[in-house]
Amino acid sequence: MTLPPGALAARAHPFTPLVLTLSVALVALAAPGPEAAAFLYAATVLAVLAAGVGRAALRALVPLAPLWLFLFLLHGVLGDGERLVVAGLSFSRGGLLLAATQAARLGAIATASLALYASFSPSRFVDAVAERGWPFSASYLVVATLLALPRFRARAVAILEAQRSRGLRLRGNPMNRVRAIGPVTFPLLLGALAEVDERGFALETRCASGVARRTPLEPLRDTVADRGVRWLAGAGAAAAIAWRVFA
Amino acid sequence: MNARLLALLPAAIAINLVIGGLVNAIGLPLYLDSIGTILATVLAGPAVGILVGVIGQVLFGLINGYQWIPFGFIQVVIALLAGVAAAQAGFRSMGGSVAWGLLTGLVAGALSSVISYVLFKGVTATGTTAVVTLLRQLGWSLPAAVTASSLALDLVDKAAAFAVVGALVRSLPNRLMGRFPRAARAVGR
Repeated sequence: MTLPPGALAARAHPFTPLVLTLSVALVALAAPGPEAAAFLYAATVLAVLAAGVGRAALRALVPLAPLWLFLFLLHGVLGDGERLVVAGLSFSRGGLLLAATQAARLGAIATASLALYASFSPSRFVDAVAERGWPFSASYLVVATLLALPRFRARAVAILEAQRSRGLRLRGNPMNRVRAIGPVTFPLLLGALAEVDERGFALETRCASGVARRTPLEPLRDTVADRGVRWLAGAGAAAAIAWRVFA
Repeated sequence: MNARLLALLPAAIAINLVIGGLVNAIGLPLYLDSIGTILATVLAGPAVGILVGVIGQVLFGLINGYQWIPFGFIQVVIALLAGVAAAQAGFRSMGGSVAWGLLTGLVAGALSSVISYVLFKGVTATGTTAVVTLLRQLGWSLPAAVTASSLALDLVDKAAAFAVVGALVRSLPNRLMGRFPRAARAVGR
């Protein structure tokens, strides 16, 4: 994703957004009630806006909207316990509180992770891993998969269109649909396996499975601020989990 | 890790993440998001399947929200059971593949219902949650509704996933099969 020039998320060390996102997820799980969870969600949205990836907060609403709706229905409307009547409609008081807590937790986690995805730069991540002396395979797995996804999606669309043009019926009775699973999945799977062979040779010629330490192409600056933010976020998450477990 | 495995892992992970879109186009209530895990296990063993499942779940979390990461544990269980099935030549026939898929679906459904209830209060993927809501409306308790919907969907989903992988591996050309000796054992060759 293209970030605004000079955006904080684009300048930060690649490990900083990663640690921040994991910390938000842990703190969200430890949030005891709707107030704490809502505060965390609001803080996450503000942090994401400040980092220059505000669109992630909006994009998070797409997967969140149906979850929030079901939380409201399942706990707020169909929940047990003391009832609350608003405008002639009956709600579960405890269920509404539970739904609000869970909705804010999920909101914080989804917003943080989509912001991380938006700010993720594969080449900077590979350089950061190489700089630490960690195995190349670790960064390759993450980066190669993220780069393979759009290619596989495009291939899946092409397969669907090709099979439709050959007369495959994707709608209609359930048996027709079950029969269509093979013709739409097999070409993708066989194509992927054929590609594995070629990529295997290419990786071998680049000594991808070697143990020699690699040199980063463009060494990154891991500033004091980056390190400080990571330590603070990690300590905050550890403290929140410890408080939740022992308090 | 050798170069061929290094090439297999991203492909299998991408399959896990992309195949759901294909199945959605057919309009079936399936995820098939463990096909890559099962395929990698059959081709290269359960350790590779576990890597595919866990990394795939983390990346799925990165793209769709990290709340789904706890379900990565289910992928580990699927890889382990697929590994046992492959070692027992469980992918030799369609019937055998479906039977192992049903067993895996039973275990995966039971575990995912616990994760779904404890961590997510029953609200997870939209299709499963719609079934939970319907069952609650019919008077089922929340734990019973979550367990029933997870089991029902996982049984069908894993049976279909095992059947697809079994049919695929049985139809692999000899050249490709030669690259993955474990696959030959999984289909009893």
